[in-house]
Amino acid sequence: MNETLTPLTIEGLSIVPAVHDTKLRLTMSGAVEMRDPGEMLNPFWTRIDEEARSRNVQSVEVDIRDLNFMNSSGILTLVRWITKLKVSAAYRLVIRYDRNVTWQRSSIPTLAKLAPNVVVPLDING
Amino acid sequence: MSDYVEMRFGPRWTYISCVRKFVASFFMIGLADKERAEQISMAASELLENAVKYASEEEGYLKISIEKQNNEVDVCVKNKAEAQQINTLRREFALIHAGQPEMVYLKKMEEAAMTEGQSRLGLIRILFEAGARLRLDVNEGEVSIHAIFPLETA
Repeated sequence: MNETLTPLTIEGLSIVPAVHDTKLRLTMSGAVEMRDPGEMLNPFWTRIDEEARSRNVQSVEVDIRDLNFMNSSGILTLVRWITKLKVSAAYRLVIRYDRNVTWQRSSIPTLAKLAPNVVVPLDING
Repeated sequence: MSDYVEMRFGPRWTYISCVRKFVASFFMIGLADKERAEQISMAASELLENAVKYASEEEGYLKISIEKQNNEVDVCVKNKAEAQQINTLRREFALIHAGQPEMVYLKKMEEAAMTEGQSRLGLIRILFEAGARLRLDVNEGEVSIHAIFPLETA
């Protein structure tokens, strides 16, 4: 059964979450280039983390292929989420990225090295 | 001799995205190398973000030169800064050059996750992810940060 959760739309960024059986999927599009993305993204990631734990999902999949840029402050919001997950692993965090997009190809595998047991970088061609 | 593009503007945050897209398009055409063009635009964007956050005066300056003689692209962002910010920058430069870039990047990410406030990941991101060489010049309260990219030889 599929279920849609409340999406996040701010300053050129959209994140649409949905639950698919044992998986929580987030589709990101636009760009993360606001001055303080943590203001909105940190609480949003926390809500997703709590949702994933309460639903006992096996994985949270973040699809960033339509995200055309993420600044280093945006990267930090993911680092905070991964750090929390590393301490208390309840699900796998799968990040689907486009290997043809330079920033995605360089940022995501590095992020995964922070917690290789829980973060899975999944490169897609397009 | 070098070709260059130069911009001077009141450092509004909303301009940064426009500059990033312009730089990416400009170098996509000029270099015919999508990866390098995206790395250069990312570096310009991260440096401009720092300038807007930490500059002491309301002016942003960006110059990107294609140094044909050295076969390099030099992305330079210049701004006025207070002595305290300059010292912080000097420490930051020493720190990011003190080890293997990926290890430094991961360590800085872990440290940043444990503290509130700014990420301070922009410079090491340029160094590691974009593969640029970084240089800091300070002259009478004016800070210039250069991100220098080697170009493929034909």
